[in-house]
Amino acid sequence: MRQLGSWLARVGVGFVRACVVTVVSLLVPAVWAAAVALGIWWGAGNPWSWVAPFVLVCVGTLALSRPVCRMVRFLVARWTTSVIPAGYRQAPPVTQLSTGYWWNGFSYERTSRDALLDQRWRVRWIDPANWRDLRFTAVAPLTAGVVASLPPVGAAAAVLGLSQPAPFARLVGAVGLVVAFTTAPYAWRFVEPVAVRFLRPTPAMALADRVDELTAQRADATVAQAAEIRRIERDLHDGAQARLVSLGLSLATAEKLMETNPAQAKALMREARAGATASLTELRDLVRGINPPVLNDRGLVDAVRALALDSPLETDVSADLRLRLDPPIESALYFGVAELLTNAVKHAQATRARISIARDTTTTTTIVVDVEDDGRGGAGERADGGLAGLRRRLTAFDGTVEITSPAGGPTRVRMMVPCESL
Amino acid sequence: MRIVVAEDLYLLRDGMVRLLEAYGHEVVATATTGAETLQALLRHRPDVAVVDVRMPPTQSDEGLRAALAARRELPGLPVLILSQYVEQLYARELLADGSGGIGYFLKDSVFDADQFIDALERVAAGGTAMDPAVIAKLLSSGSSNRRLERLTERERSVLGLMAEGLSNHAIGQRLFLSDSAISKYTTSLFGKLGITDDDNNNRRVLAVLAYLNNP
Repeated sequence: MRQLGSWLARVGVGFVRACVVTVVSLLVPAVWAAAVALGIWWGAGNPWSWVAPFVLVCVGTLALSRPVCRMVRFLVARWTTSVIPAGYRQAPPVTQLSTGYWWNGFSYERTSRDALLDQRWRVRWIDPANWRDLRFTAVAPLTAGVVASLPPVGAAAAVLGLSQPAPFARLVGAVGLVVAFTTAPYAWRFVEPVAVRFLRPTPAMALADRVDELTAQRADATVAQAAEIRRIERDLHDGAQARLVSLGLSLATAEKLMETNPAQAKALMREARAGATASLTELRDLVRGINPPVLNDRGLVDAVRALALDSPLETDVSADLRLRLDPPIESALYFGVAELLTNAVKHAQATRARISIARDTTTTTTIVVDVEDDGRGGAGERADGGLAGLRRRLTAFDGTVEITSPAGGPTRVRMMVPCESL
Repeated sequence: MRIVVAEDLYLLRDGMVRLLEAYGHEVVATATTGAETLQALLRHRPDVAVVDVRMPPTQSDEGLRAALAARRELPGLPVLILSQYVEQLYARELLADGSGGIGYFLKDSVFDADQFIDALERVAAGGTAMDPAVIAKLLSSGSSNRRLERLTERERSVLGLMAEGLSNHAIGQRLFLSDSAISKYTTSLFGKLGITDDDNNNRRVLAVLAYLNNP
């Protein structure tokens, strides 16, 4: 009984889905059919009667192709596990120039509304995805549409046939009923492979997206690097360099005073020694900020263990000890962990933290670093904040950051970097 | 004392040899790579060795590895590690075998030659000498150490100075306390840490180990 119930439910759901697929895939053919009907109705004798249907077909097909594709993508994502990336071209941001005009990536406009309107049409018009969408609207009715129309057509035949007294019509009606019931749970499913095959972004579109992504990453990396170099220069200039100059001064003065006032000379020498120690400390901190020595000596795992030892938090580190990654990735992850531990101490008032470093169990070519603290949570990402910086650092390696930090804690951050060398 | 100096930078090595000889010690060998260091340590069995952490050919922690390998062959071989930076991780690795005779200092410590030679002699005698930077970090993360929580503030500072390698007398001078007060504190902190050995020197090493090794 239960089996019958679930089968009926599947038939019902399948029937509705088949109808939806049929309607969506037949939208464009319906426009064409309407145009043909219009041409016939207008009169075959009139030499200009083809103009209106022609315009209708062109405008209708172009205007409907993208909504139809969007709908199919949405339905496939909702009913199945396939997610098909849209791959439409994204509009660049509209910016106001110092002249007061607006630049939208194509032309200058007087107002931002004009700029946006102009941009929308241009982007829409030159998008290579248009061709893919048009192709799909041609393919869909002949493949998924035909298959999906079996249940509704069968049902229609059943209704029409069984209401007639003639035995032949009744036979046709019965066959239609059987066809509708047996195909309903399966007929809509054909839309998925068709959509996956014909709607995914073409290699050219995927490449264009990738180029955009890489351009943005390169810009980010260059900005971050320049900022880092400026910081190093400033630290050297204000710190160690100035101290060394004063050290030289002290020594020169001491040399001069050696004969006349040995006591003061001695005091100056002592001062110079203290200055040398201080500048060494500064240089050491600077080096640690650029490339921590343990990271260089031992790699990520030991460097993170050393970091945990130095942290005021009670920190557990669990790690796959055989991991050895490319130095730039190790460095990015190390500074990520350092940033997160600092945040946990400074902002979250945490007392313990857990760090795990491992490779992803499913793919094994991704390195996953989890940092969890018992703080008060509520960590947010600000544009110039540490977390955004961390994301930028990892984006350069196609890495990702997932942050879950509900108010009240705990904060969990997962950093993932794909790494072919693993 | 017979000393081996392992340091890859010529200026530093030469300066250190001159300094040691000025204080009347004998430098029996110098080494510039990790492999040479290990060889020199095993062949000469010096009274104490001064070893740099970072050395060729890898320019990573070759010196430290050589020192650890030599101490596996010759347990208790006194080694003073001099490095451009101090890492708790390395300090713990050095102390892990529990046999003492270990020092770990920043290279700047040679600026104060008297203290440096003093630390070297303590290490040669089987004691420990840790850089204040290591101790300071331990104190800042000491809240996680449950055994140390039982110590009073005063006992903890005595233990800290003991870890740096100072004698009771020197600790008393630093804290402006009498020698007898210091020995009272040391006895009570040995008790709290559960260290009962009678040999005074070894007890000090064990106390410092308890301090450094407890996670």
